[in-house]
Amino acid sequence: MGLKDILPGGGTSATTGALFGAGGPTFLTSKVDWIVNWGRRNSLWPMPFGTACCAIEMMASAASNFDLARFGMERMSFSPRQADVLICAGRVPYKLAPVLRRVWDQMPQPKWCISMGACASSGGVFDVYSMVQGIDTIIPVDVYIPGCPPRPEGLIYGLMMIQEKIRQESLSRHFEHRAEDPTLVARPLASDFEVAELSGPFGNSTQQEQLSSGEAV
Amino acid sequence: MADKKDSAGLDAVDAGPVSSDVSGEHHAGTEGDASEHASVAALRERFADAVVRHRVYSGGQHVVWIAPEKSHEILAWLRDDPDHRYDMMSDVTAVDYGNGRPVNMVYQMYSMVHKRELRLRCELPLDALEIDSVVDLWKVADWLEREVFDLFGVTFNGHPDLRRILMPADYAEGHPLRKDFPLRGRFSRAEQTRRALNQDVERFYRAEDLSAGHAPQEVAPVEVGTLASDDAEGDA
Repeated sequence: MGLKDILPGGGTSATTGALFGAGGPTFLTSKVDWIVNWGRRNSLWPMPFGTACCAIEMMASAASNFDLARFGMERMSFSPRQADVLICAGRVPYKLAPVLRRVWDQMPQPKWCISMGACASSGGVFDVYSMVQGIDTIIPVDVYIPGCPPRPEGLIYGLMMIQEKIRQESLSRHFEHRAEDPTLVARPLASDFEVAELSGPFGNSTQQEQLSSGEAV
Repeated sequence: MADKKDSAGLDAVDAGPVSSDVSGEHHAGTEGDASEHASVAALRERFADAVVRHRVYSGGQHVVWIAPEKSHEILAWLRDDPDHRYDMMSDVTAVDYGNGRPVNMVYQMYSMVHKRELRLRCELPLDALEIDSVVDLWKVADWLEREVFDLFGVTFNGHPDLRRILMPADYAEGHPLRKDFPLRGRFSRAEQTRRALNQDVERFYRAEDLSAGHAPQEVAPVEVGTLASDDAEGDA
């Protein structure tokens, strides 16, 4: 399959602006955004941050039955510095929170994050003293995958959603929503008081300034 | 085939757990018979003052409560006496029964020489949570005692490196496995997240913690033929 076949319109329509000589295309023009996003979304290297049973499903996704390599996730990058998408698979205790944050900080831009499973997304059943209540309180998250644990199809669908998101990105707008501190970007529209009242003793967001006994700090 | 000895104490298993709201003392299991366990009989004889009670739990597990101030002396004797020689400390842990009851220290030991196991317990009142460390007897007790210190707040006198092992080093909310500890901790989620992100990650990985393969602990070998059990095996 050549480049000609995968360009919009098969490389022959006026939308690509390609000129053809007798021996085939000699040059073509396209949007930089389109070419860059095409490259990015088809060579996403995952940084596996597996801490629990979700990591087993993540490994199954990479193995031959499901084969993430089909989507360009050729290589699980165990170094964050050569990774594009962080897959946090499993529960994250508070003691691990600064480690996860540092791994995320070490990944070069552009980068994306998948929160895989109930525990990474919300703390899951572990609404206890030691557990981060959703990794979006530590790092920004692009795609949440529900499930306990999600099946490999779920993870693949999540990665395809990342690909779709990349397809719609633009170089000129990419860094707008990439602020590093989620406590700055993830402020809710409701006021602190309303958040506290709604969440009550069962709230689990970073904005929750109440003790579990219900009294304010 | 379960004989009388193996089925002892199973009534308590059938009865199920006892709520920590129930006040007063309650010890499941049945009153133990010291003649069934050579080490218990020897403890009864040698440390008569220090043995508080002896019970048998589910299927013949002998549990002896001893006075905490004598614990180190008794444990050292059980390890070194050739008739007992509990050379393996399987577990050092603790239980908090709540409702103001004392925290129980639990020592689960096994004698590889005599193929015999024994569980010792010490009751520590909540206002005096301290006991002698046994790291000098079994090196394995090092991290196990740190875990008990971390999660229950028991201080081990003579421990070479007593600091938290599971919770973060700067954890300020108390000891999570105590019954009076709230499930979600003492601070708000916002404060917990702030403190978590302010941790010094480098402190997690000290060089001495990561160095594996310390020299094995030397336990004096037992000469063949010097044990009482050797004769019994020869007869059989």
